[in-house]
Order: sequence, then C-alpha cells, then structure tokens
Amino acid sequence: MVLTAQETPLIRLREVSRSYQRGVDRVHALERVSLDIPAARFVAFMGPSGSGKSTLLNLVSGIDRPTSGEVWVAGQRLNDLDEDQLAQWRARHVGLIFQFFNLMPVLTALDNVALPLLLTQLDKRERARRAELALRIVGLGHRLHHYPRTLSGGEQQRVAIARALVTDPDLIVADEPTGDLDARNAEAVLALLRQLTHGFGKTIVMVTHDPRALRFVDQAFHLDKGRLLEGNDAERAHEAILLAAGGGGAAAAVLP
Amino acid sequence: MLPLSYSLKNLWARPLRSAMTALVIALVVVATSLFLGLISSLKRTLVGTGHPQNLVVMRKGSDNDGASALPQEAYQAIRFLDGIARNAADQPLVSPELVVQPFFRTLDGGRENVLVRGVEPIALEVHDQVQIVEGRMFRPSAAETIVGRAVAGRYRGTTLGSELEFGRGRWKVVGIFTAAGSSFESEVWVDVRELANDAKRPLPYSGIRLRAATEGDLVALQERIENDPRFALQAQRETDYYAKQSESANSLYVLVVAIALFSGIGAGFGAANTMYAAVQSRIAEIGTLRAIGFSRASILFSFQLEALLLAIAGFAVGSLIAVLFAASLGSWLKGIAFGAATFTTNVVTLEVRASDLLVALLLALGIGLSSGFGPAFRAARMRPMEALRRG
Amino acid sequence: MISWFGLVLANLGRNRLRTALTFGAVALAVMLVVFLLTMPAGLDALLNSIASNTRISVHNKAGIVYSMPYSYARKVRQVEGVAAAVGMTWFGGAYEEEGRVTFPNFAVEAEYVGAVYPDYGIPKEQLEDFRRYRDGAIVGRQTMRKYNWKIGDRITLKSNLWPVALDLRIVGEIPQERAPMLWLQRAYLDEALLAARGRGLEIVGIVWARVEDPERVDQVMQAIDDLFRNSEAETASETEKSFFGNFFGSLKGFVTVILVVTALVALCIVVIAANTASMAVRERHGEIAVLKAIGFSRRRIFAALLAESTLLCTSAGLTGVALAYGFAQALRSFAGWSPALGPLGSFLVTPGVALRGVLLALAVGFISGLLPAWGAARKPVAQSLHEVF
Repeated sequence: MVLTAQETPLIRLREVSRSYQRGVDRVHALERVSLDIPAARFVAFMGPSGSGKSTLLNLVSGIDRPTSGEVWVAGQRLNDLDEDQLAQWRARHVGLIFQFFNLMPVLTALDNVALPLLLTQLDKRERARRAELALRIVGLGHRLHHYPRTLSGGEQQRVAIARALVTDPDLIVADEPTGDLDARNAEAVLALLRQLTHGFGKTIVMVTHDPRALRFVDQAFHLDKGRLLEGNDAERAHEAILLAAGGGGAAAAVLP
Repeated sequence: MLPLSYSLKNLWARPLRSAMTALVIALVVVATSLFLGLISSLKRTLVGTGHPQNLVVMRKGSDNDGASALPQEAYQAIRFLDGIARNAADQPLVSPELVVQPFFRTLDGGRENVLVRGVEPIALEVHDQVQIVEGRMFRPSAAETIVGRAVAGRYRGTTLGSELEFGRGRWKVVGIFTAAGSSFESEVWVDVRELANDAKRPLPYSGIRLRAATEGDLVALQERIENDPRFALQAQRETDYYAKQSESANSLYVLVVAIALFSGIGAGFGAANTMYAAVQSRIAEIGTLRAIGFSRASILFSFQLEALLLAIAGFAVGSLIAVLFAASLGSWLKGIAFGAATFTTNVVTLEVRASDLLVALLLALGIGLSSGFGPAFRAARMRPMEALRRG
Repeated sequence: MISWFGLVLANLGRNRLRTALTFGAVALAVMLVVFLLTMPAGLDALLNSIASNTRISVHNKAGIVYSMPYSYARKVRQVEGVAAAVGMTWFGGAYEEEGRVTFPNFAVEAEYVGAVYPDYGIPKEQLEDFRRYRDGAIVGRQTMRKYNWKIGDRITLKSNLWPVALDLRIVGEIPQERAPMLWLQRAYLDEALLAARGRGLEIVGIVWARVEDPERVDQVMQAIDDLFRNSEAETASETEKSFFGNFFGSLKGFVTVILVVTALVALCIVVIAANTASMAVRERHGEIAVLKAIGFSRRRIFAALLAESTLLCTSAGLTGVALAYGFAQALRSFAGWSPALGPLGSFLVTPGVALRGVLLALAVGFISGLLPAWGAARKPVAQSLHEVF
C-alpha cells in the first residue's frame, strides 16, 4: 500500500516453490512460479485439480508460506512474517471468500460481516456502520439480521463477500466462490466481484475452474502440475476452457 | 436387528470420546460403591455382632452398655434362672460385664474412647464369636488384658506383650482376639473386678449377657427378667441390640443416595452428550440404514445398546478400581473409626463387596439406559431421506 | 453488535442441548462436591471458632466417661486466673423415642454457664430465666430448628443414663447455627435423682473454665492438674480446641473417605467438561480455520475457546453452589444433629465452601478447555483450511 507508482505490482512472486511431505513422499505442489499482479485487477488462477492453484492462492493471501522463493504483497515480504504476524497481516490486508461460504452459523449476517472488525480498534458503532455498509454494497441491506441458514446460497456468498470487503483490504482472495452456486447466482457473484474491482478499485485474486469466470476477469493465469503455463501452453489452456464453455451452454451450466 | 458388533465398532471408532464417557461412569461407580461399601462395612460390623440366642440385660431405659448399671443382687437373681444354657462344667452361661470407655492414645497422638469390657472367663463361652488368635486369655487380678484385632496396633501399647495404659492403671497385653469381624473386635477385655476397681464404679456391673438354652427359653427368660419387680431391667436379644446400635448409621444412607443420585445424573448428562454427538456424526449412516430397510426399532435398539455398553465398560473398570482402592485405602487408614458421639469407637474395615457393587451396577445401567434413550430416539425418528440429505 | 463476549456466548448457543447437558452435569457435580465439602468444613469451622478462646476443659485423666467428684467444679473456680467455671454432666436424655439420644444434652450450673460462654451471645434475659426457672432449658439453634421448638415450649427428656425423666421448659436459645446441645439445670437433675434413688448427682463429667488472661492458659491448666494430682480422680486439662480436636479425631478416617469421594466427583466434572470441550472444538474445525484465515491470531482463538469452556463451567458451578445451598438447607431442617456424623452433619454452605465450589468449576472449565483449545489454535492454518476446502 506504500507503493503508489502504477507500474509497481501489488503482488510479486519470484521463483516460488511449495512442497509437502505426505507420508514418505515429497509432493511438489508448486514449482518456481514467478508472476506479477498489478493493483485494481480481477485475476483468476485456473487449472485442473492438483494443479497447485489453491496452493498459489494460499501463498498470495499469507495463509501458507513457500518452501523457497519470495512472496511480496502490498510492499510486504511475507517470508519475513511468522504464523501470528501473518494472521495479523491478513486481518489488515486480506479479505477471504470461500467455496462453502464458511459463515458462522450462530451469528447473524451483520455479525458475520462485523467479525473481522473485532480485530481492529474500531468502536462498536463504527463496526456496525461499516458492516452494514458492506452488506448494502453486496445488495443485502434488507437481510442484516438473518442467520445464514435462512439465506439462499447466493445470499450467503454475498454475506461472505461483504465480510471480505468490510476491512477495506488491499487484496481479496476467493477460492472457488461460485463452486457451490447455481448458474444464475454464480454469474451474479462474478459480476459483483468484477464491480468491486472496477467500481471500488479492489484487487481480487480468484481460484476457479468455472469457465464463465473468463468473461468477467481481467486476466487468467493457467496452472498445470504445479507450474505456471506461459506462451502457447497458456493460450491452449485458455482456449480449451473457452471451447468447453462455448461448446455447449448446457455443459457450462452443469459444470461445478 | 443390527448386530452387537456394529455398536461395538462404533464405540471403537471414536476411542477417546468413548473412553472419556466410560471413565465418567467408572468414577461414579467408584465414588458410590466406595461410600456404600463404607457404610455397609459399618453396618455389617454391628449387625454381625452377637448370638441370636443371647440376651443383653440392662437397666431399663438404657440404650447401651455404657449407660447402664446393675446391682450385684440382680446378677445373683438372674444367674440361677431356669432355661439358661450350661457349659460342660455345668456352669450357667451368664456373663456379668462392666463397660467403660477410657481414652486410648492413637499412634499419631490423638485419642479415642475405646470400649473396655470387664468380664469373667465365662465370657469367652457366652460370646463364642470371640477367638483368641494370638497369646492367651488374661488371668484375673494380674493386670492383664486381651485386645481385639481392630484395636491391636491402632493405639499405643496394644501389641502383644506391651504395656497398655488406660484408666488409672497399666495392663499387660497377653492376647489378641478376633470375633468374626464383629464390633467385639474394637474392644479391649480385662478382668471385671479389676476394671470396677480401676473405674471406681459403685455398682460393679453395667449389664449381663446370657445364653438361653432354647429359643423358647429365651422368650421366657426375657419375660421373667423384665417383669421382676425388684429390679427395673430390660432384656433384649443380643442381635437385636446390635441391630439397634447400627440404626444410627442409617442417616448415612442419605449421603449414599445424594452421591449416587447427583453424580449419576451428572454422568448421565455427560454420556447423553457423547451419544448425541455420535448420532449427529452418523446422520448419513442412519439414513442409509433406514433406506436399506432397517426398522426404527433396530436403530433405536442399536444406539441404546451402545450407551449400555459404555455403561457396562464403565462399571467394569469402576468396580475393579473400587475394590482395589478400598483395600488400599483401608489398609492405609488402618480401619475407619466411627461413633465419636456415642462415646465408643467402632473400628470398621473398609470393604467393597458384591452387594455394594450390585447397587453400583444398577446405577451404571440406569445411567446407560437413561442417557442413551434420548439420542437413540432421535436417531430412530429420522426419516431416511432427510437423514441422507443432511449428511 | 457482535463483541468478544458475544462471540463466546453465540458459540455456547450453537448446540443448546449439549451446552444444557454439560451445564447440568457440571452443576450437579459441583453441587455434590460443595455438599460433601460442608462436612469436613463443619468440623474445621467448629475447631476454628474455638481456636482463639481461652476456655479449657477439666476432665478425668482416664476419660470423659470417668467422672469427677462434684466438688471439683468449686475447686476449679477458686484457682487463680480462672474467670468462670461451670460443671457439665452428660444427661443422655432421649426425646420422643426412648433410649435414642438425638442431640447432646447436659446438666449445667445455671448460675455459672453464662459467664463461661459469653461468646455464644445468649441474651441476658434468657440466662436470667434459665437461673430463675428450675426446669428451664437452653437449646442450640440447630436443635431448635430441627424440632421446630420455640421459647416457652415444654418438652420431656428421658435419660438413658439416670433413672429419671425430666419435664423441661425452653427459656432460651444458643444463637449459633451449628449448636446442637441442650442445657438443663444441674440442681433440677440433682433434686430428681434424690427423689428417685435417695442420692443426688454427686459427680460432674467435665468442668469448663474460662481463663482471664490468654497468656496464662497453660499456667492455669498446670495449676488445676497439680491441684488434683494424687487425688481419687486425677484430671487432665486441655484447651477447648484440643478437646474437640481429640473428641472428633476419630472422624478422621471417615473424613478421608468423604474427601476421596469428593475428589472422584471433581475428577468426573473434569472429564465431562473436557469431553464437551473437545467435541465443541472438533465439530468447529472448519470455522476455526476460517477465523484464523481471516486474521484471528492463535492467541485470540485460544482465548475464545478457553473463555467458552470457562464461562460454561463457572456459570454451572455458581448454579451448583446455589443448588447445594438449597439441598443442605433442606437436609438440615429434617436431619438435624446426627450422632453418627457429629459436627460433620451441620451441612452449612459457608462462603468458604461456596468459594471452593466456584473455584473448582472455574479451574475445571479452564483445564478442560486448555488441551482442545491449544490443539485447535496450534494447528497451522493452511493445514486446517485444507480440510475445509
């Protein structure tokens, strides 16, 4: 956020790798990925299961840490932070959206949205004001006091988006935000996310394999087997997705 | 019906939770049976004292030996009544006795009132529960004494051969006796005349114990003694006398009930929690079972069985701990003393017996049944489709 | 608006049935612990209440059932340093059921008893009435309550030790919660005995004396025992605390068993609470991961989970204490002084006992929440999220 020059990217990854120990095997989830994402963009990471897109998202949002390489977000080198510092950093700089919404079932929509504000110094009234504003932005001004189980899937995801938005983060990351929604709601959510970028200047990074997403994002990164596809490979992957989407509206509607 | 192994496997599938729940039940079993064991040990000690064909003769209105006093003439009058059993030497089995409760020093410096019974040698025949197991009977007028097993080693100078100080004098311990676990074992016996001298009691006897020849004689003797206008006496069957003494322990059952009831309900709540969680986490499974065609009853039964198995496991562990624990606690405390307020100390050996465990078993089963029913009912009530969907 | 406390409360409301069951289990168990603790506490309270006074007991060296000549009371009174002394003799009176002594009762010298027990707070007029009425009796509050007696009531006690039954009129109350005893006039018993057997009371069981100067208590006890050395009844003097400590010393084994049972029940609460806490944490795995992902630090997660179990147990503990209070009250009103229990049977939930119950619940909540909360907080966020996505 200290970076003002347009050309300095909000997210910068350099030679980032991430591997896990699973039993006796070493799993290489991500290998030597480098990329830049400027501010105020709506970006998608795409690829088949196990391609490393979720790992990449976790690294960008400071949930996970790389085995090697550097991750810079909003001027902060995330490698330097320990688990608790990362939590603090996330609270201030990142908003998160999940596939299954992950709202607290025991809290109302308003309280769910206000939850991250508990980590700030804001007083009660200000927390309430901001949470309400965020819910209005996502079009749920009339559902403030509803509990998650009384809301539709689309509405729940919009509450989750409001929760991600409410701290006014530099970066919003979304993991398969349309994965659990029907076609109509999925499009509405994607449109809302795009509007957050172009209307409010938010940077949004999303993992998805929903081909519809390509119509809404500014840029898509394609991954396969832990590597970022570039040049022809990337274009081929891009086209394959478009083809699948265009190849039949029905197929698109059925795809998760 | 779902097989037993299904319930067992489900318990095994969440070992920590099952173990914790069984542990709670086990703890309740230990607490309840330990305390119940203590009280039944006390009652057993008292109720098991005496001979059903013995009579206790005391002054009217006295509720215990220590509070009674009889003149010499009463003894002489009773001694020659008809219907009293006789020994091989043709002596009537009548034991005049004097009871006092002097201070004894415990090994750790405290003091307790111990029942000292002044007797004549015939007492060993009237109280045939009493058996000298070490040493020998005291000789009259030799400042000798024999001590009960529960007394020996609990107080200063009560081991065989040592000098025992009580009352005004010093006594040599020449024998140790048992009495089939009865309260005689908490007594010290000395020569009745020596004791009367030591205690400076104007009336030599506090009571008389005698053995009736037959049951019919006992009733007749009782009537004759009580109706003798010269002395205001009462005669009670010896076993009745001790049974009455044991009634003071009845108020302690309030404590057993309190412990069993409150800890039992608490444990039941805890077990219900576990069972509800089990139902919750197996909603899909229940749906599948119902879809396959298992009846509500079999689902209900299966979950109920699971709760019962937990209770039985808890009981098994708990009863084992209780028995071992009681034994070690008993030997550590060297017997548990009772009856401070009645001026005599009864030393009770803490023991948890099968009858105490039976009560604990019923309690554990009660916990299992009542805690399992709610969750089992909830599981059985689920509609198959609903259960499948929610899973 | 949501607050920290609100978050904790909301989480407790998540599974109402479980919260209620845990609450009930902990409340009942704490109630039982508190109730059981009143027993040793009753003994401690008795001993502590007399720890600082300068009263001494003078009794036959051989034991309290070995009596002393009545003249000893007068002789003790004359020993230098003794402010007041009263002779007390066990009457062994049974009320209602013949032969069953349901509360301790003594024949005392009416003119001296007030001066020996100024700390009991017996009203002056009542002490005067006690002196004035030959058949007067002063009764401890515990026994007054048990039998629902009022001042002015008339009762009959039949002795199981002396060949008399005495008609008494209650003229005063010892205003002490735990006092079970009844005092009647020695002169009255003496007279009745003279009529019944031609011989008066003649003896005394214990002489209770109050020493003027706390510094001189040992000296006075020595002087009294010296006075009766080599007489027909040698005495042993001891402080009131020592006397009752010894008198009830034989309850030690019983108290140990009570404490063992109490500890077992307390352990029960820990396991029940720990089980609940671990279930609560396990089923919220995903939510906790999400909270961590949106920036809640491990410390905050840990604190919130710990606060949850602590709050639940502590509030249940408070309820348990209240229940114990009610139960003890009810039991006291119908059980009264039980010879088998002595001072253990006062069943009084004192602030100290109540505090121990609440602290136990607090500690249980804290300890039982510790492990699950720590486990949940410690887990790396990426790993838990992995299980969520």
